Amino acid sequence: MQLLSQVIVDSILLSGLYTLLAVGLSLGFGVTRIINFAHGEFVMLGAYGAFWLFTLFKVDPLISLPLIVVGGYFVGWLVFKIAVEKVLAAPHLNQILLMFGIHLVLQNIAVVLWTGDVRSAMPDYALSTWTFGDVFIIHGRLIAFAVATVMIGGLIGWLHFTESGRAVRAVSQNRDAAVLMGINPVRMYALSFAANSALAAATGVVVSFLINITPFMGFSILLKALAIVILGGLGSVIGTLVGAVILAFSETTVAYYVPEGSGWAEGIAFALIIAILVVRPRGIAGESKET
Amino acid sequence: MTPADNRSAVISRAIWIATAVLAVGIPFLGSPSTVDIVFRISVLVIISVSWNLMAGAGLVSLGHSGFWGLGSYAAILSVNSLGFSFALSLVPATICGALIGATLALVTGRLRGIYFAISTLAMAEGFRVVAVMVPDLTGGFKGLYLDSSRFPGMLSVNVVAALGAVATVLIAWWLSRSRYHFALRAMRDNEAACQMLGIAPLRYRFGIMALSGAMASFAGGISVWRGGYLDPDVAFDLINTINSQIAPILGGIYTLSGPVIGSVMTVALGEVTRLTLGNMVGASLLLYGVLLVIIVIGLPNGIQGALRNGSGAWLARLLQFMQPPRSAP
Repeated sequence: MQLLSQVIVDSILLSGLYTLLAVGLSLGFGVTRIINFAHGEFVMLGAYGAFWLFTLFKVDPLISLPLIVVGGYFVGWLVFKIAVEKVLAAPHLNQILLMFGIHLVLQNIAVVLWTGDVRSAMPDYALSTWTFGDVFIIHGRLIAFAVATVMIGGLIGWLHFTESGRAVRAVSQNRDAAVLMGINPVRMYALSFAANSALAAATGVVVSFLINITPFMGFSILLKALAIVILGGLGSVIGTLVGAVILAFSETTVAYYVPEGSGWAEGIAFALIIAILVVRPRGIAGESKET
Repeated sequence: MTPADNRSAVISRAIWIATAVLAVGIPFLGSPSTVDIVFRISVLVIISVSWNLMAGAGLVSLGHSGFWGLGSYAAILSVNSLGFSFALSLVPATICGALIGATLALVTGRLRGIYFAISTLAMAEGFRVVAVMVPDLTGGFKGLYLDSSRFPGMLSVNVVAALGAVATVLIAWWLSRSRYHFALRAMRDNEAACQMLGIAPLRYRFGIMALSGAMASFAGGISVWRGGYLDPDVAFDLINTINSQIAPILGGIYTLSGPVIGSVMTVALGEVTRLTLGNMVGASLLLYGVLLVIIVIGLPNGIQGALRNGSGAWLARLLQFMQPPRSAP
C-alpha cells in the first residue's frame, strides 16, 4: 500500500514535468506543422545555462529561470529566422532533414564547447526530502512540478487572453481563415517556434537539478516528448497533458513493480509511440488532420 | 536514341564499371589506409542507397541505425552461438533486416510523412533498449566480442563489402529501370492518386522496405567483422542514421549516382575534418549538421542539382554521365 501511494505521488510529480516538456513541441507542431527535432537540444541548452550560472555565479536555477526562458525565446526566434522559415513551404522530407540538421548542430556545438562530461547542478533542494508517513517527496521534484504548473498556466493564459496568443491559435486552427482576418502567419510561426524553444529551455532549467547534464541528453528527451505528443495528439494542449500523465504513470509503475524495471521504463516511450501510431495515429485528443 | 544519347550511355557505363572495378580492386592492392577508406565508402554506399530507395517512395527513414544494429547482432550471434562462418553470418543479418523492414511496412501501412519518420525512429531506439535489457543474449552494456577464430582475414571482409556496394547499386539501377521505380515515384508524389490508378501502395511499400532493410542490415552485419565488438550503443549508434541520409542529400537525392557521389564526399569530408581538427570530439558531426542545414536550405537537389543550374555546368554534365539512360515506362 505504501508503495502504491509512493508510485502515485511520483507519477503525478513526473506528469507535471512531462507536460512542460512536451507542451512546447505540441504547440510548435500545431502551428507550423513542423516537428522540432531540436526540441531536446533546447532543453539541453537551458540545462547548461542553469548549470553554468549556478556553478560560476552561484545563481540559483530558480532565479536564473526567467533569464533562460528569455534567452531560449531569442535563440528559438533566431533559429526560425535563419533556417526554419526557409522550408515552410518545402516538402516534409526537407523539413524533417533540416530539423535533424539543427539538432546535430546544436548538440555538437555543446560537445565542442563543453565536452561530453557529465555535470549536474546541485542546489540544496536537489536531494532534500519531506516524508509523509511512508511517502518521500524530493523537494527538487516538487519544485519542478510547481514551475511546470506556473509555466503551463502562463502558456494557457497567453494563448487564450492575449491578442498574439489568440492569433497563434487561429493560425493553428485554420491558416487560410486567419490570413483573411489580417494575421501574418509567418509571424505567428516565428512566435510559436520561439515559445516552443522558451518552454524547452524552462524544462532544461528544471531538469538541471534532477538529472545529469550532457550534450547528448537532448535526444532521449526529444523521444519522450515525441511519445507524449503523439499519445495525446499532435497539436493539442489537453492531449499533451493526457499523454504526459499516461507516460509518467506507466514509466513509474514499470520502474517500481517490474524487476529491472527502471531499464525497461526507458523503452515504454518507444512502445507507446509505435502502438499509438498503429492504432490511432492522430492520438487520443488529436483532431483528424493530415500532416 | 540519338547518337549523342548513345555515346553518353557508353561513357556512363564505362564510368560505372571503372568505379566498380576500382572499389573491388583496391582491397587487393591499396595501402591499409586506402583500403580502410574504400571499406568505409562501400558500407556508406550500401546504407545510403538503401535510405535513398525508401526516400524515393516518400518514406523518410530515421531508423536506419535500427536495421544496421539488428544486422550486426544477427551476424555476431550466428557466429558466436551457431558457429557460422563469415559469409554465412551475413545471411541471417540480411534476412533479419528484410523481415523487420517488411514488418514495419505492414505495421505502419497507414502512416506517411512525419508520422512514418517518427515510427522508424521509435523502432530503432526501442531495439536499443531491448538490446540493453536482454544481457543474456546481447551481453548488455558489457558487450560481445566476435569469436576471432572465425575471422577470415581483412581482405575477404573488404572485398565482400566492396562487392556488396556494387550489388546494391546494381539492384538500385535495375529498379530504376523497372515499373517499380515509377510506381514508387508516384507514391512519393501522391499516394492516394496512386491508389486510384491501380497501384497498391502497401504492396510496393512492403517490397521496398524489405529490400532497404535487408541492405542496411547487411552493412551492419559486415561492419561487425571490421570492429569485432558490439554493444547496444555501438550497434544502434545514431551516426548510421545520420550518415545514411547525409550521403544521398549531399550527392543528390532520388538519383542513382547521388548516394555514391555523396558517400565518397562524406568520407572525404570526415577525413579532412579529422586531419585539420585532429580528434576534436563533435567537430565532424557539427560539420555534418551545418552541411545538412545548408544543403536543405540552399541546394535541395544536392551538389549535382546545384551544378546543373550554376556555373559548374560542365562538371554536372560529367556527373550526369553516371546517370543511366531512362527508358520510357
